[in-house]
Amino acid sequence: MKATGGREMTGKRRGVGTVISFALAALVMIYLSYQVPRLLPGDFVTAMYASSQVTLTAEEAADLRAYYAQEGGFGGYLARVLTLDWGYSYAFLTPVSELFFEALPWTLLLLGTAHLLSMAAGFVGGVEAAWRHGRVAEKGLVGGMTLLEGMPEISTGVILLFVFALNLNWFPAVGAETAYADLGGIDRLGNILHHLALPLTTLILAYVPGNFLLTRNSMILVLRAPFIQTARAKGLPPIRIRYAHAARNALLPLATRFGLRLAFMITGALVIERIYAYPGLGTLLFNAIQARDLPVIQSVVLMSSIGVLGVILCLEAAYRLIDPRIRNAH
Amino acid sequence: MHINRKEVLRDPWFVAGLCLALAFGFVALLGPALAPYDPWNMGFEPIASPDSRHLLGVNDGGQDILSELLYAVRNTVAFGLLSGLAALGLGVAAGLAAGWYGGPVDAFLMRLADVLLAVPAVMVLILAAALFRPEPWVLALLLAVFAWPTISKTIRAQTLSLRTSLHVKAAVRMGASGRYILRRHLLPEMFPLYLIGFAAKARMAMFMEASLAFLGLFDPSRKSLGMMISYALKFYYMDIWWHWLMPPVLCLSLLIMGVTFLAVGLEKVLDPRLRTVTGEPV
Amino acid sequence: MTLTVDRLRVIYRDGDHGILALDEVSLVLEPGRCLALVGESGSGKTTLGMACMGLLPESAEVRGRILLSGQELDTADEAAMNRVRWSDLSMVFQNGAANLNPLHRIVDQVAEPLIHQGNMGRRPALDRAAEALVSVGLEPHLHRRYPHQLSGGQVQRALLAMAGVLDPAVLILDEPTSALDALSKGIVARVIREAVARGKAVLLITHDLEFAVHQADHMAVLYLGQVLETLPPEDLLSRPLHPYTLALGRSYPSMDTVRDLGGIRGDAFYRLVHRHGTENGEHSVHSHIQIPGSSHRDGHAPPTGCLFQNRCTQAVPACSSGRIPLEEVEGHGVRCLRHGIVNLMELHNVTKAYDNVPAVKGVDLEIKAGEILALVGETGSGKTTLAMTAAGALRQDQGQRFFDGQDMDGWIARDYRSLARRVGVIYQNPSESVSHRFTVFDAVAEPLRIHGFGKNRSERTDQVRRVLSDVHLSTDPAFLERYPHELNMGAIQRVCLARALVLSPVFLAADEPTSSLDPSVQAKVMKLLLELQTERGLTMLFVTHDIGLARKISDRIAVMLAGRIVELGPASAIMKDPRHPYTRLLLESASGRHVEPRIGESDAGDVDGCAFAPRCPSRLDRCLTERPLLQPQSGRKVACHASGPAE
Repeated sequence: MKATGGREMTGKRRGVGTVISFALAALVMIYLSYQVPRLLPGDFVTAMYASSQVTLTAEEAADLRAYYAQEGGFGGYLARVLTLDWGYSYAFLTPVSELFFEALPWTLLLLGTAHLLSMAAGFVGGVEAAWRHGRVAEKGLVGGMTLLEGMPEISTGVILLFVFALNLNWFPAVGAETAYADLGGIDRLGNILHHLALPLTTLILAYVPGNFLLTRNSMILVLRAPFIQTARAKGLPPIRIRYAHAARNALLPLATRFGLRLAFMITGALVIERIYAYPGLGTLLFNAIQARDLPVIQSVVLMSSIGVLGVILCLEAAYRLIDPRIRNAH
Repeated sequence: MHINRKEVLRDPWFVAGLCLALAFGFVALLGPALAPYDPWNMGFEPIASPDSRHLLGVNDGGQDILSELLYAVRNTVAFGLLSGLAALGLGVAAGLAAGWYGGPVDAFLMRLADVLLAVPAVMVLILAAALFRPEPWVLALLLAVFAWPTISKTIRAQTLSLRTSLHVKAAVRMGASGRYILRRHLLPEMFPLYLIGFAAKARMAMFMEASLAFLGLFDPSRKSLGMMISYALKFYYMDIWWHWLMPPVLCLSLLIMGVTFLAVGLEKVLDPRLRTVTGEPV
Repeated sequence: MTLTVDRLRVIYRDGDHGILALDEVSLVLEPGRCLALVGESGSGKTTLGMACMGLLPESAEVRGRILLSGQELDTADEAAMNRVRWSDLSMVFQNGAANLNPLHRIVDQVAEPLIHQGNMGRRPALDRAAEALVSVGLEPHLHRRYPHQLSGGQVQRALLAMAGVLDPAVLILDEPTSALDALSKGIVARVIREAVARGKAVLLITHDLEFAVHQADHMAVLYLGQVLETLPPEDLLSRPLHPYTLALGRSYPSMDTVRDLGGIRGDAFYRLVHRHGTENGEHSVHSHIQIPGSSHRDGHAPPTGCLFQNRCTQAVPACSSGRIPLEEVEGHGVRCLRHGIVNLMELHNVTKAYDNVPAVKGVDLEIKAGEILALVGETGSGKTTLAMTAAGALRQDQGQRFFDGQDMDGWIARDYRSLARRVGVIYQNPSESVSHRFTVFDAVAEPLRIHGFGKNRSERTDQVRRVLSDVHLSTDPAFLERYPHELNMGAIQRVCLARALVLSPVFLAADEPTSSLDPSVQAKVMKLLLELQTERGLTMLFVTHDIGLARKISDRIAVMLAGRIVELGPASAIMKDPRHPYTRLLLESASGRHVEPRIGESDAGDVDGCAFAPRCPSRLDRCLTERPLLQPQSGRKVACHASGPAE
């Protein structure tokens, strides 16, 4: 059971292997995206835009058909994807990549902050709750969190919107910032935060319970481990035992779960963006669907998938950092 | 792996979940019979407040909200059950195959699972719904295609551990065939995992259905809780909070809560390590 | 520093019930000494270690005091305990690698107390930790490894290094040697010796008796939360005074013990405690619940009195009342109503002759309750006579016999039957010892008929059936009706055994019970005897001419020559190092080596001097004229002028 130099090399080799398999997966996704037009019936351009609110000029229709004729084959498509040439949106009269990168920061802001805050809160909450296992406060908190976990994002979002935005008017109901306000610096920041508050709260309320409960459950198991007793026996301060010893071990299942659920959490984000008319990728996608704007739909879906793939890859790397057993095991 | 029946029935979460699930199941089954009116009948006065004839009032299209609600619950529940069962079937099959046969079968299935897990299912569903306008059941099955990987991972892990367990080895030594072992040792042993997996996937499917409906991706004539919420929300400035907006929100919440509690209760009972125990070191 | 445990009582609570893990245990750990705490699972030994460190779960109720150099430790006060933990007293836990955080490197974990308790900087702490690891034989290239990358022995050594890193005055080791390789065990032993030499107080908690005997200065035997015996380690296997200690030593495979392992009948149990109202907040101890699945034979332990009585080989009714204190008996501390293992049988200066030919000459012998004493000698040595005299079948010419403390002569005169009931005998020739006219049933039921037990035939049949199944014979009606002489020799002997045991005697005299049996059958009967001795707690006197056979069954051996006992002691001592030349001769013959005896006549009747002298290779002049007396020598008694350690 002794690690040798050879084993360490294998760890690195495994890391490279994972990157490669993810790159392959990304390629597969791009390929599928490339194939999508082939799956559509007949002269889909006409069929699609016939039911759309947008009318195309003959020239635009020809351009679109040309785009979808896929000149240059898959290689060409791949090149176009990588150079951010994602086509032109006839519904919004803007290049697709421009639309994408306009909406992306808002989504990152909303989702990123929501995940970070809910991870931190759920984790710390779970750790502290497990440490006080059996006390009334802990039982209450666990019960509350379980209840909250049962509430789908739609419900929380609608309720919060209704109560705080539409009735009490404490928060705006729409948008990421007040349009045409032309605010600068701190004022602008404040305005953005004000708009961010409700959707962010909804998402946090949706994500925290899962993190909390999982952390708590795995902490309880870790706290029963013999090495925690050793840590106590060594006279270490309780905070150190809780975090440096126990919580670190409890982190692992949390990271795994996050990776597994990431792709599904996007649903909630989409719905929330829609409810609050937050101009992120979700709203973009939704509007594109309404307009039957295929290039936009394709790009958003493809890029999100690759994005999720990237996050999972980072998680795997992080996992290796946390757990030396994986680093060196075969 | 053993669920103590008495223990399970005493757990408050499980019982609550079971009651809710049964209640909704009942409604789903009897929906059409219980509805006072045909939900597509647009003949009533639009946006009317509740009264003795329309317990939840009438929506903007002149349809009875209560009837809508009943049909909507039915659709959501059906979607969830179908998708959950399909995901369960695929996941168990894949997990068993990967765990039992190992080698290239395992490698292939797990790689496939990893790729599927990275793809945001909702996006593909949206794409499919927008482009092909399929029947809802097709979408349910499509969702199952993205949902089976997590189940298969759990089943695979358990299969691996059972495969090396002593009682399976003993049976193999006695000459048992793979099918026998599957039937007598593996499948029954993992029964609790099926329940948990099914509950989790059904929950997600119902949630998806509501979300997709909310985003307007189903046929507008199909009744759904998500769709009702979406329409009701448009009329927020009118006094429709209690009778039009809240009921579907409440129903959706309770429905999903019920399934969640079932899953939570089962998980708690399944893992005895999570209960309080008096230590007895010697 | 001295660690004193004063009447420590620990109950693990679970709602209204609790389990009593430690029952007013008192111990003292002195600096520079190692105390071994020995016991089986359920004895509470780990609980004791954890209690000293203040690591018992919150649900544990603790009464009594733990004092460190006279200062009482408040184990409920985490902050106060943290000041003391690791710096004054540290512990090495069970479970090896599970005691280390899988995500931290070894050297970091060893350095951790230095940084957080000792306020050392990180660099110096790591250096000191590295030194500590090297001193237990872990080279530097192992230091930056994680626990899962080390072998079991390496982990144990790392734990040792970690425990000593703040140089505590008290070191507690919980099962430090289970599943360890020889090298690591050696290092553990060395660490203990060094710690003791440097003045630390070491508590060694273990069930590894061998290791404990070699490392400890003093020993305490723990059973179900009570100390039953305290003794010097060298006495554990050779001179235990408590029946439990004797049984424990017998259950332990060591290189020195020779007889087959025996267990202890019955099972241990949990001591449940219930809350009874709120008298003065005290709750009384109450039922003893047996661990489910235990054998039906042992019965239930009454709620008071000695904890060991339902498994003891010498329990009397008085053992079940009152609380038995730990008292001093022959240098040990013993908790037994009967002050330790009693002598079931005592023979003082017993002499018997047949027709003026002396068979037994002035023999002194004690047979302890629960032991198997083998009486070994050649034909004509008087062993059978001695055995039968002991069993009460013959009357001695001179001397006294005591059975269970009572004078046998008086007893026999008053009421022979009541003595006869307590003694069972099996003979050398089984088929002769049973009437040819008796069926199996008749033979086995005979004692019942003689003593008038069993009101009717069906009751007697039940008793007969029970004892037949104990000796692994069929209980079919058909078998009961068979005639013993139809059966094979081994079966007949078992029928005789059944007959001897049907009245549940406490003493069994077996006179060459397997000499007329084939070897394979002999083996089965021997195994059966051992099993019965464990199950029924019998005391046995086993007569044989075959010392090789004796070694497989006996706790003690008495070697007889010409009517006298020439060597008497623990079987392991005698087998390993026979002191009397005659014993050596017997051993050599048994092992197939035949030594040429000195030419001379065989021992005659009443000569002066040693009876073996004519044949003795180590004979001195005085051996011919002066008969040697039985003297204590290196753990046994020898009657020889020339005896000393074997060359």
